[in-house]
Amino acid sequence: MPDIITCFKWAVDEADIRPQASGEVALDRVGYKISEYDRNALEAAAQLKEAHGGSVTAITVATPAAKKGLKDALSRGPDRACFVNDAAFDALEPAQTAALLAGVIRDRLPFDLILCGEGSSDLYAQQVGPRLAQELGIPCVTYVNRITLEGSTLLAERKLEDGIEVVKVELPALVTVLPDINTPRIPGLKDTLEASKKPVQSVGPGEAGGEFPARLQTVALRATSMERRCVRFPADDAGIRELVEALRKSGAIG
Amino acid sequence: MMAGIWVVAEHADTALELLTPARQVADSLGGPVVAVWLGRQEAPPLFAHGADEVLVCTHGGDDQPLEAQVPVLVAEALQAQPEAILVGASLRGREVAARMAAALGTGLGSSCVALRVRTDGLVEMDRLVFGGRAVQTVVCTTRPQMATVAPRTFSPAPPVEGRSGTVRTLPAPPPSPVTVVERKPKPAVSGDVAGARVVVCVGRGMEREEDLEMARRLADILGGEVGCTRPIAEEYHWLPEHTYIGLSGQQVKPELYIGIGVSGQIQHVIGITDARVIVAINRDEKAPIFEMSDFGIVGDLYQVVPRLVDELTRALGK
Ligand SMILES: Cc1cc2nc3c(=O)[nH]c(=O)nc-3n(C[C@H](O)[C@H](O)[C@H](O)COP(=O)(O)OP(=O)(O)OC[C@H]3O[C@@H](n4cnc5c(N)ncnc54)[C@H](O)[C@@H]3O)c2cc1C
Repeated sequence: MPDIITCFKWAVDEADIRPQASGEVALDRVGYKISEYDRNALEAAAQLKEAHGGSVTAITVATPAAKKGLKDALSRGPDRACFVNDAAFDALEPAQTAALLAGVIRDRLPFDLILCGEGSSDLYAQQVGPRLAQELGIPCVTYVNRITLEGSTLLAERKLEDGIEVVKVELPALVTVLPDINTPRIPGLKDTLEASKKPVQSVGPGEAGGEFPARLQTVALRATSMERRCVRFPADDAGIRELVEALRKSGAIG
Repeated sequence: MMAGIWVVAEHADTALELLTPARQVADSLGGPVVAVWLGRQEAPPLFAHGADEVLVCTHGGDDQPLEAQVPVLVAEALQAQPEAILVGASLRGREVAARMAAALGTGLGSSCVALRVRTDGLVEMDRLVFGGRAVQTVVCTTRPQMATVAPRTFSPAPPVEGRSGTVRTLPAPPPSPVTVVERKPKPAVSGDVAGARVVVCVGRGMEREEDLEMARRLADILGGEVGCTRPIAEEYHWLPEHTYIGLSGQQVKPELYIGIGVSGQIQHVIGITDARVIVAINRDEKAPIFEMSDFGIVGDLYQVVPRLVDELTRALGK
């Protein structure tokens, strides 16, 4: 019966990203959500537990404000949560997140399998999963859209550019999942009520053992520029002729 | 002592593309350009395209994944201490790079779309974040400075005649704990949306699969390919997955993109920002795609597209 850890990020909701007049992006008035891909990881953990028993622990590294996310995560199936939090954790880069997760997991969370989303829906660096595996010295299987467990052997289908690669690994191991691995459940009222009764272990940075310096520094964050000519033509024959003429003039057609 | 710039790639195209920024970085920071060939096939002409040194991986049996090379690459990098490592951002490349960065205790800019060397020797890396809504610029404050670079971000480095150098074969890696039990290659695909000069993109405004014919006719006249938005491929399965464009699909850079019945959600349009001319045909005048189009027609695609095909046939004398 596998003990599963599923990692999730309390991520900025990208729908709230609005450029300021300067073109910079401000992150002070945005909402947060469980990163989309991590919902798939939570769901995969829940399904594995339904099939094989064992336990599921959700873990996140965030600021104390992410408390809301814990209940959301717990309503999606895990038995308990581990909340690695500090006010300074508001802009961690992937190397820091992975090192903090590794520090906490190594010392206090026994596991057979760690599940992560392939990336986070905000920064999408796709590093925390493989970095965490490397830090813990366990095998890593990325970009998985199907998992089968047979005892302590895990079979996974990786969806890569050139096709499907079916791989086999002995647990313990870490797997990062793709969005098409499953359809995450929508928690009901009962799940939400149950979630508030589940245990949450809070861990501070001092307890993660070690230093976690940033190795990547963000020097700018600017809104994507999509400026175009925005010329419109009417939907009649004359308009279509004008469009073809405009395409010709701009060199887009022969 | 700085020990050069590494380029790590499993695909020939990417290797040649990465030699372009590698040369720029090497010119400002000094040191040789070292190409590390990860692929199982024979390496492309890396010296001709700018490499000063070539390292070739030794692959194990068929059951060994490409990622098995990580320990060898890490050992070699610890030895050589390169100033920067650029890795082709294929999916396998992304895993390889992240694990190397962890083992080397350094930072990594993921899926970069631009690189610039600053006067202080740090490489500024631009990457898309928040579903394409913003560009994050990062620098790596530790060494080696690492980045993965998306395919087709740079043009291939031009070949120079008479260049040569030494090829060194890297040792075989230890057996991987992850073994490949089966490979199911994707069926050979016809049409290459990513490299097409003209892309006609079908969105959910199209009502029936058989209406794709209309898009094909438009693409044919223009010598282009038919692409689509994600739902057309992933939900309706009308077109193969490799034809959908956007954040999680293909990045396209055509001379001309024509979106028909495409709303223009950010996750899609982020894949067409490098199109030279964008045309939108959509019946909703408030569709966001109009704000990022050069030319637009507000109208029913079933009315507009056939007439556009007629008009183009006439104009192009076909
Ligand atoms: C994490 C994530 C990643 C994603 N990645 C991608 C990606 O890579 N690529 C991608 O495409 N999407 C992606 N999406 C989905 C994306 O958000 C949109 O849902 C999708 O692009 C919408 O496709 P559409 O424009 O075809 O459909 P819709 O948004 O439904 O738009 C259909 C349009 O057709 C118009 N229309 C309807 N009938 C007609 C008619 N008769 N004539 C003219 N116009 C008509 C409508 O006015 C409407 O604007 C992603 C989403 C998420 C959350």
